[in-house]
Amino acid sequence: MMRALAIAGFLTALTLLAAVEWAARRPGSRIPSLAEVCAYVMRYEVGPVPVGRIGLFGFWWWLGWHFLAR
Amino acid sequence: MEHPSELSVAEPRAWDRPVVTVPVLVCLSLVGGQLPSFSASANLYTLGTGGALIWLGLGNRVPRRPAPRRLGAGAVWWVLPAAVFGVFEGVTFVLAAGDEFPTFSRLADPLLEDELVRSAAWFAWLAAFWGLVRR
Repeated sequence: MMRALAIAGFLTALTLLAAVEWAARRPGSRIPSLAEVCAYVMRYEVGPVPVGRIGLFGFWWWLGWHFLAR
Repeated sequence: MEHPSELSVAEPRAWDRPVVTVPVLVCLSLVGGQLPSFSASANLYTLGTGGALIWLGLGNRVPRRPAPRRLGAGAVWWVLPAAVFGVFEGVTFVLAAGDEFPTFSRLADPLLEDELVRSAAWFAWLAAFWGLVRR
């Protein structure tokens, strides 16, 4: 029962992600796509240090290592 | 008449096209899909490919697409899937009930044991990483 709840929860999150991305790609949409959100986050800099870029790269690197190497 | 520099678009490099990058990513993914979890080779391969992409992404070696200067109010919709995922991942992680109430990675592990699924996951990871490098 609890296992089914967890699976349903994660599937709901993935479905919502796909739905928001779909809505963002519709012509004239006010919702930015996930790629645009990422690009905006990566613009963030503290002085000369591209903190947003380093943070997102680091997160994605860790995610790949976590799922594909561990 | 001279055009302002910010309006000019850099000419794409010969290798910077899907016809080149997709086959390269497919080859890298097929190799990655053969490497079993917890092996030294899988660790080194993940660190190597990710490190190379970070090296490319932090330098000015790859042309980048223009980023939006600001996000509209519609961006708040992205909080919804992130919040649902965060709540379930957080609760399953804190309760640590194993297979009774599994985390996302615990659910994904059996799927990733299959070489084809693992290669597909490698491709998704690398393709998204390449997309970030280009941003």
